[in-house]
Amino acid sequence: MSREQLNVGDLLPLLETSDLRQLDEIKGLINEHLNTDRGSVLLNGLVDYFLETNSAQAVHILSSVREPHDKLLFDKMNECMGKAQCRLPTLTLLGHVVRKQPSWIHKIARYPLLLSLLKCLKTDTDVVVLITGVLVLITLLPMIPQAGKQHLYEFFDVFGRLASWNLRSPGHIPEVYLIHLHASVYALFHRLYGMYPCNFVSYLRSHYCMKENMDTFEEVLKPMLEHVRIHPELVTGTKDHELDPSRWKRFEIHDIVIECAKVSLDPKEASCEEGYATMPEHFCAHLQQRPADCTASPYADFHSSYGSSSSTNLSTPRQPVFPPLALSSFSGTQPPCRSPTGTRRQNSSCEFNAAYGTKDSLWSPSSQCGMATPPFSRGMSPNLELSQSASHLPSCLYSTPAGGKGTPSSSTPAASTPPPSLSDEFSPMMAQRSTASPPCKDGRPLDHTKPALVRQEPIREPEVIGYRDGRSKDMPMTLNELSVYMKEQEQMRIEKEREDAAITEELQKLTEDKRDVTALRGFDSPFFSTTETLTGAQEKPLHYSVLGGSIRDPHNAISTPDKSETIGRSIVSRGISQEHPWSFQPVFTPIDHPSHSHLHRSPSALDDESLKFSFCSPSPCKPPPLPYEALFDMALPRTASLFIGRKTSEIVQRVSVERCQRNDLGKYGEEEGAEGVVSASPLEVLDRLVQQGADAHDKVLKRLPLPSKSADWTHFGGSAPLDELHTLRSQLLLLHNQLLYERYKREQHALRNRRLLRRIINATALEEQNNAMKDQLNLQSVDIMSLRESLQVEQQRYRQLWDDREIAVTRLHSQIHQLQQARDDYYTKNQELQSKLQECQKRIGEIEAELQRANNKVCHTGHLLNQLTAKLSSSESVQQQLSFLNKQLLLLGEAHKLCVQELQQAGPDTSKEVQMLQSSWGKETERLKQNLLFQTQKLDAAQQRVAELETLLSKKEHLIAEQKKFLDDVKVQARGELHASESRYQTQRRIALALQAELLQLYSRLETEDSSTTTSASPAEGAAETRSSEETSVILVDRPMKTATKEDGKAPQSPRRNGSILPSGQSKASPSAANSLNGNRDTPPPVLVEPPPHRPHSPLGPPGPLVSAEVPLTVGSYPNAKSFLGMRARELFRNKSESQCDEDEAPPPRLTGLSQGLKTELCVEPTAKSTPGASGSTSAQSITLVTSAKETNPGSQRADNRDTFGSRCPERPRQQPLRIIDYYDSHQEHS
Amino acid sequence: MAEDPQRNFRSAYYENLGFRGVEEKRSLEILLKDNPLDVEKLSTFSQRFPLPSMYRIHVWKVLLGLLPPHTDSHALVSRYRAEQFEDVISALTAMRFVNATTPPTDLYLRMYQLEIQQLPRRSELRSPVEGDKHFLAVARAMEEIVDDPVDCYWLIKCFVNQFNHKFGDSIPHLPKSLEHFLSQEDSGLFAHLKASGSLGSLPYCLWFRRCFAGCLPESSLQRVWDKVISGSCKILVFVAVEILLSYKIMLMGMNHPDGVFNFLSNIPQENTDAIVTKAIDLWHKYCGTPMHSVQ
Repeated sequence: MSREQLNVGDLLPLLETSDLRQLDEIKGLINEHLNTDRGSVLLNGLVDYFLETNSAQAVHILSSVREPHDKLLFDKMNECMGKAQCRLPTLTLLGHVVRKQPSWIHKIARYPLLLSLLKCLKTDTDVVVLITGVLVLITLLPMIPQAGKQHLYEFFDVFGRLASWNLRSPGHIPEVYLIHLHASVYALFHRLYGMYPCNFVSYLRSHYCMKENMDTFEEVLKPMLEHVRIHPELVTGTKDHELDPSRWKRFEIHDIVIECAKVSLDPKEASCEEGYATMPEHFCAHLQQRPADCTASPYADFHSSYGSSSSTNLSTPRQPVFPPLALSSFSGTQPPCRSPTGTRRQNSSCEFNAAYGTKDSLWSPSSQCGMATPPFSRGMSPNLELSQSASHLPSCLYSTPAGGKGTPSSSTPAASTPPPSLSDEFSPMMAQRSTASPPCKDGRPLDHTKPALVRQEPIREPEVIGYRDGRSKDMPMTLNELSVYMKEQEQMRIEKEREDAAITEELQKLTEDKRDVTALRGFDSPFFSTTETLTGAQEKPLHYSVLGGSIRDPHNAISTPDKSETIGRSIVSRGISQEHPWSFQPVFTPIDHPSHSHLHRSPSALDDESLKFSFCSPSPCKPPPLPYEALFDMALPRTASLFIGRKTSEIVQRVSVERCQRNDLGKYGEEEGAEGVVSASPLEVLDRLVQQGADAHDKVLKRLPLPSKSADWTHFGGSAPLDELHTLRSQLLLLHNQLLYERYKREQHALRNRRLLRRIINATALEEQNNAMKDQLNLQSVDIMSLRESLQVEQQRYRQLWDDREIAVTRLHSQIHQLQQARDDYYTKNQELQSKLQECQKRIGEIEAELQRANNKVCHTGHLLNQLTAKLSSSESVQQQLSFLNKQLLLLGEAHKLCVQELQQAGPDTSKEVQMLQSSWGKETERLKQNLLFQTQKLDAAQQRVAELETLLSKKEHLIAEQKKFLDDVKVQARGELHASESRYQTQRRIALALQAELLQLYSRLETEDSSTTTSASPAEGAAETRSSEETSVILVDRPMKTATKEDGKAPQSPRRNGSILPSGQSKASPSAANSLNGNRDTPPPVLVEPPPHRPHSPLGPPGPLVSAEVPLTVGSYPNAKSFLGMRARELFRNKSESQCDEDEAPPPRLTGLSQGLKTELCVEPTAKSTPGASGSTSAQSITLVTSAKETNPGSQRADNRDTFGSRCPERPRQQPLRIIDYYDSHQEHS
Repeated sequence: MAEDPQRNFRSAYYENLGFRGVEEKRSLEILLKDNPLDVEKLSTFSQRFPLPSMYRIHVWKVLLGLLPPHTDSHALVSRYRAEQFEDVISALTAMRFVNATTPPTDLYLRMYQLEIQQLPRRSELRSPVEGDKHFLAVARAMEEIVDDPVDCYWLIKCFVNQFNHKFGDSIPHLPKSLEHFLSQEDSGLFAHLKASGSLGSLPYCLWFRRCFAGCLPESSLQRVWDKVISGSCKILVFVAVEILLSYKIMLMGMNHPDGVFNFLSNIPQENTDAIVTKAIDLWHKYCGTPMHSVQ
C-alpha cells in the first residue's frame, strides 16, 4: 500500500503531462486509489500539490472526490486555511469544490472549515483573499440555506465588515481591489437580502442605526438598497419563518439564486422572470408568442448538446490551461501579439459585456429556450441530426488536439493551422461558412488582426458563448418570423436549421475547448465578445445592404465565429460576404417590427458601445464592441429592449461624462462614474474598471518590449513594476474568481432553464391534451346535436303518441263514463228491484204469517170441529135420547091421552090420581137419580179398588216370582240334600241287603248245620241261594219268603227278627205275602197279627213291604201336595223337574219288581197297582193305616224299629215327621 | 274381563310372563263365592285353566256332584257322606270284609262294590277282575291326591261312576282318534308304530280306562284329571299322543310291540309335567278352548 501510495504520490507531478493518454491513465490511477483507499495521505498530497502548483487536474480530481473523503478534504482545507500563505489557494480550491456542487457539499456546515472561512473573512486583511472568500461564501450560501442560519449573524458581520472596508481602510488597497470588493459585497448583499430579508433588514437596522456606521450606510449601503425592491418576505415572513428549514426544502439551489435575483432591480443582477419583469406589454406579447412556437422536443437535443459541451469541457479544459498564460506572456513580446493585446482589451471590455451577458443570462436562458427552435426543427429531420452528431464527434476529437497543438506552438501561424482542418472537416458547410465568413471582417474593417488572433486561439470558450448567443439571437428571430409569416420559406428554413445545428454543434465543441482557458484567463475570455461584435457588425450592414443574397445567408450571421476562424485565411472576401447578411436581413426585418425596431435601435446602441469603447480604448479595436450589443438586443428581446434601451440612453449620458473621466483617470474613472450616476451598480463599475484596466494595461503593455513583462517592468525600471504585476495578477485572479462566480450563476440558470423547459413541455403536452379534449368536445357536441335532433324527432313522435293516447284516453274515458252511467242505471234498477224483492219478501212473510195464522185457525177449527163432532155426537145421542124421550113423551103423551081419556072416562078423580102419579113419578125419578149418583160413586170406588187390587196383584205376583225363585233355590238345595240322603238311603239299603245276604248265608250255614239234623231245608236253601245270587230284587222278594218259611219253621227263633225286619211293612206285607206267597206254603203268623179288615185293598198288600218302606216318605210329601200350596207347587214344577216323575217312577220298577216277584203268586188286582192315583189313594189310606198301626201298636212298632235298625238308622222315623214339619213350615211361610 | 273391576290390572303382564293361574285363582274364587254354584261355569273354567291345587278338591267335589251347588247344604251333605261312609265301613266291618289292617284302596273297592251291590260273598271272594283293577289304580292315585279318606272314597266313587257313565261309550273310539291325531302330528312315528304293529298293542287300558293312573305321577295326573272331571275325555288322547311324541326317539328304536308296550307302561316320571302341559296345549289346539266364559 505504502509503496503504491508513494507511487501514487509520485504520480501527482505527472498530472501536468501533455500526453493525454498518460494523463488519463494517471487520473484513473489516482481515482482508483481514492476509491480503494480510505486514508488521507493521497488526498492530502493532492491538496498540497494543488496548493503548490495550482494544478487544474488536481482541482478536478479533488472536486470530484467521493463521500468518505469529503471530511478529510474539508479537514485538510481547514488546516490549510490556518496558514496565511496557503489561504488564497485554499479558498480557490474551496471555490472550485463548491462550484462543482458535490453531493456532500451541504455537510460543510458541520465542519470547522466554514467557521474558519468566516473567521478568515472577518479577520483577514488581504483583499484578494476576502473577495475570493466572499465569492465562495456567496456561492455556498444557497447550498446550505438552513445550515447557514447558525452562522447568520456571522454572515451579516462579514457583510458589515466588508461593506465598511472601503471607508474603514482607505488607501491601503488599490482601488481596483476595492471595486472588486465592492462588487462582491454587492453580490453578498443581494444574496443575504434575497435569502434572509427579515433577519438581514433587522441586522441592517440595528447595525446602521449606530452613528459610527452611518457614513458606511450612506456611502455603500444606500446605493445597494436602491438596486433592490422590497422583498415580499418582509411583508409576509418573519425572522423565524425565514430560518425555518421547511421553507428551504422547497427550493433547489438555483431556485434560491433566482429568488435572490428576483428582488434585484439591477439589470445586471436581476432576473426577468415573470412577476418581476418590468417590461412593456408588447414584449410580453412577444414573449408569449415565442413559447407557443417552440415545442418540447428540441430541448433534449439542446440538453444533449449542452451535455456534450460540458463533457468536452471536462475532458479538454486542461490542455489550454497554460497556453493562454503563455500567450498572455508572449503576446506582448511577439509582433502579432499586438492584436492579441488589442483583442485582450477588447476582451476585457467584452468581459463586461460577458458579465452583462451572464447577468442577462439570468433571463437569457429563457430566451435561449426560445432560440432553441432551430434544434427543434432540426430534430424533425433525424438524419441530419445523426449526421451532425456523427460529424460532431470527430470535430471534438480534432478540435481538442488542435487546441493542444495550437497552444504549445503559441505562434499564430502554428495556431492558425488547426482551424482549416476543422473547416475541412465539415467541408460542405464550412464552405458556406467560409463564404459567409468575410462579412465578419467586413463588420470591422479596422481590426484585421483580431480575427487573426481569433484564429490563433480558435478554441476559446467565450467564443462559443458568443456564437451561441449570436446564433440563438439570430435564429429565433428568423424562425419566429418565418414560421409565422413565411411558410413558403419553410424548406429553406429547415435547411438553415440543419446548417445551424451543424454549426452550433461544431461551435460548441470549439468553445468548450476554450472554456477553461477563458476560465483561467479572465481577460482572454472576452474574446467571444469580439466575435459577437463581429457578427453584430455584420448585421448592422445588413439593414443597409440591398443586395439580395442567397436565402441561406442568414446563417452566415450565425456562422460568423467560424467565419472569424477563417477570416485569417480569406480576408479578401470580406466584401462579398458582407452582402450575404444583408441579403438575409431583409427577409425578416420587415416582418417583425419590434425586432426591426431593435435592429434599428441596436445600431445606435452599438454606436454607443463603439463610442464607449472608442473612448475607453483608443485602439482601433474599440468599435467592435458596439455591434455585439445589438446581438444582445436581438437575443434578449424582452429585457434587452426594456433596459438596454434605457441603458443606452443612460450610457449615452454617462459616456459623455465618462469620456472626460476616462481621459483623465483611465482606470479610476469608474468611481467617478459611479458617483456621478447613483444608480450605477457596482457591477457596472466593475465592468468599466475591467475595460478601462484592460485598455490601460494595453497601453502599458504596448510600451513594453516583447521579451517578457518582468523584463519590461525592469526594463522600464518602474517603481511599482512588481507591485503592479502583483496587483495585476491578483486582479486577474479576482477577475477569474468573478468569472467563475458568474459562470456558476450561469450554470444555476441553466439548471433552472432545464426545469422550466420541463414545465413548458408539460404545459404543451397539456395543451395538446386540451386540444384533443377540445376535439373530443366538438365531436361530442356534434353527437349531442345529432342526439338532440333525434330527441326532437323522438319528442315529436312521443307527442304524437301522447296525443293519440290522449285521444284514446278521452274516448275510453267517455266510454267509461257511459259505462258508469249504465252501471249506475243498473245499480238504481237493481236497488229498485231489490227493494221490490224486499217488499215481496215482506209480503211473503206477512202472507206466511197469515197462512200460519190461518193454519192455526184451521187447526183450531179442526180442534173445535173435533170438539163439535164430539159435541155433535153427544148432541146426537142427546137427540136420540131426546127422540127417545120424545117417543117416550109421545108414548107417555098417548098414554097420557089414554090416561086422560081413561081419566076422563074414569072421571075427575083421575086427575087427582094423575097428580099423585106425577108426584110419585117425580119422586121416583129423583130417587132414581140419586140412585144413579150413588151407583156412579160406587163405580168409582170400585174402580179405585180395582186399581189398588191390581197393584196389589202385581206386588203379589212379584212376590210370587220371588217366592218361586226362592222356592226353586230351596228346591235345588233340597234336591241336593235329597240326593245325598237318597244315596244314603240306597247305601243303607244296600248295606241292609248285604247284611241280609250275609245273614241269610249265615242262616243257611246254620241250617246246613241243622240239616245235618233235618236236611229238609237244604234244597230250598240251595234254590234260594242260587236265586239270590242271580238277582237281588228276587232275593229281596225271596227272603221274606224264606223268612216266612223260616218263620214258619222256626217261629220261636226269629219272632223278634221278623218283626224287626219288617216292622210295619213286614207286618203289612206279611199278610199280603201270606196272601200271595205264603199262601201256598205257610201261614205267616204275623199276618194274623194285623187286622185284615183295615186294608180296603187287599191286593195292595203284597207291595206292602215296599210301600210301607216307602210310604212314610211319600206320605210325608204327598199330604203336603194335597194342600193348596202343594197343588200349586206341583203344577209349577211339573214341567221343570222330573223329581215327581222320579217319585212316580220309583214305585213302578218296584211294583214291577214286586209284580214279577208276585207272578209266581196270583196277582189279584193289577189295575189297582198300575194307577198312580190309586197308589196315591192307597198311600193316603196307608197313612191312616200307619196311623192306625201306630195307634194300634205303637209300642211294638217302635220297639221293632229300634230292634231292626239298631243304632244304624235311628233317625229314619224321626226324619219323616221332620220332613213333614218342614213342608208345613214352608207352607206356612208361603201362606 | 276388562270391565271386571276386581281383576288385577297386571293380569296381562302375568300372562305374558307365563304366570298362568294368578288371575285364574281370583276368578275361581269369585266363581266359588256364588251361592248356588254354577257348575257349568266351573267346568268350563276347569277346562280352560289349570286349577289351583288348594281349590282342586273342592271343585272336583262340586263337579262330581259330591257336593250340591248350594253351599248352604254343603255341611249337611258332607255330613251325610261321612255318615254313609261310616255306615258302609261299619257294615263291611260287620260283615268282616274288611278289618283295620285292610289297605284303604281295598276298603274303597269293597265299599264301592257294596254300594253298587256287587259285593261278592265272602266265601266267594275272588281275585279282582279288570274293572276292579282299574278302580284300584284310580283309588291309589286318588289316595295320593286326597288326604281325607271320606273325600277320597267319595271322589273315587264319583269319578269312576261319572267316567263310566259319561264316557263309557266313547272310550272304545279313543284309540282311533289317537291314531288320527298321531298321524297328524307325526306321521313318521305313526307309520313306524303302525309298521311295527305296536299300534294295536299300546297300553290303551292304562291310558283310557285308568286315566293314566299309575302311569303319570299324581302331580301331573291331577291336571289331566281336571280336564276329565270337567267333562272331556279327549284330553286322554292328547296326553297319549304327547307321550308318544316325547319318547319318539325311543319308540322309533323299538320294533317289537311288547317292548313298546312295556316301555310305555313304565315311562319315566321325570318330565311328565311338560308332557301334560304340551298335551293340554295340543288339546286346546285341536279341540279349541271351551268358549264358555268364566266370567
